Amino acid sequence: MMSQLRLSFLLPLLAFTALASVGAVALYATLSGSRDPAQLPSVLVNKSAPRTSLANLMPNDAGDNMVQLTAFKGQPLLVNFFASWCAPCRAEAPALEMLSKRVAILGIAYKDRGEDTNSFLEQYGNPFRAVGMDTDGRMGIEWGVYGVPETYLLDANGVVKLRHAGPLTRGVIDATIIPALEALGS
Amino acid sequence: MIIPRMRNLMLVGILPLGLLLVSLVPNTIVTTAANAITAEEMLANPELEERARNLSKQLRCLVCQNQSIDDSDADLARDLRREVRSQIAAGDSDDAIVDQLRQKYGDYVLLNPPLDLATMFLWLAPFAFMLLGGVIVLMARRQSGTESINELDATERAKIEKMLASRNGRNE
Repeated sequence: MMSQLRLSFLLPLLAFTALASVGAVALYATLSGSRDPAQLPSVLVNKSAPRTSLANLMPNDAGDNMVQLTAFKGQPLLVNFFASWCAPCRAEAPALEMLSKRVAILGIAYKDRGEDTNSFLEQYGNPFRAVGMDTDGRMGIEWGVYGVPETYLLDANGVVKLRHAGPLTRGVIDATIIPALEALGS
Repeated sequence: MIIPRMRNLMLVGILPLGLLLVSLVPNTIVTTAANAITAEEMLANPELEERARNLSKQLRCLVCQNQSIDDSDADLARDLRREVRSQIAAGDSDDAIVDQLRQKYGDYVLLNPPLDLATMFLWLAPFAFMLLGGVIVLMARRQSGTESINELDATERAKIEKMLASRNGRNE
């Protein structure tokens, strides 16, 4: 009888302790910055990147008016969705500049006008091998973009290995981008 | 004996059932819909437009994260509404449209998460807690019901009678 009585008091207490611990761990992870509830996982990871063909911001002499993702196969590639109207994109410009020395970067200008994109690149530097124009944002939806800037790392076969939503900071590059690049042998 | 049983039944069965039923009332009745949708977005065919509105209410705006794309004024919500409508106009079924968006944004795009292994806990936990609560209540009740009253033995009875007698004698 005594043990039964104890159980009916202990059970709620144990249940509460278990729930509170889960909450405490999640809260600690959020406060210490290792968990960001606003970061959504990408379904694209470990899948082939969507077929991507966009109007070229800078048509070259060969009359190449389209940017094709397939043209970058055979090497790791960063795909960076950005826009001239996006403030965090300005903040991450130096980070992209630095990364461009190590890996090819394809820029996709999300819901931007060509003239604005051009002046943005003039002002903040152009780390991109090519820039495709996603004027109506449809390509962004294909990639599961929910806000610029977003950066995807593709392996040599065009399979998405990593997605980062939000600006690339020193911390993000050191903690996620560089190790992922090293894993791809770059 | 019957009345406590009834109360147990209330606590364990009827009350949670009532709460469950209330939670099933469509939330559209409770909340007033903020109209983010603009006239030029709408489809000319009212039947198709109705389908588009219905679908939009089930899809999450991924920027605001707690609103449907039907409610949200965000740019991405507008783009997704346009996407839904263009696919409806192209003759796609509702399921096909939802599936396509799930392939791009994952289950998170659905305001109602599907029941699968990953969401099993989410869906079943309320019932598990309900059951657990019921078991605890029953255990606590059974406990209080079985407390036995110890009858007085002969010496105790004599002692009390003696005490009462002396007390009554004093008062008279």
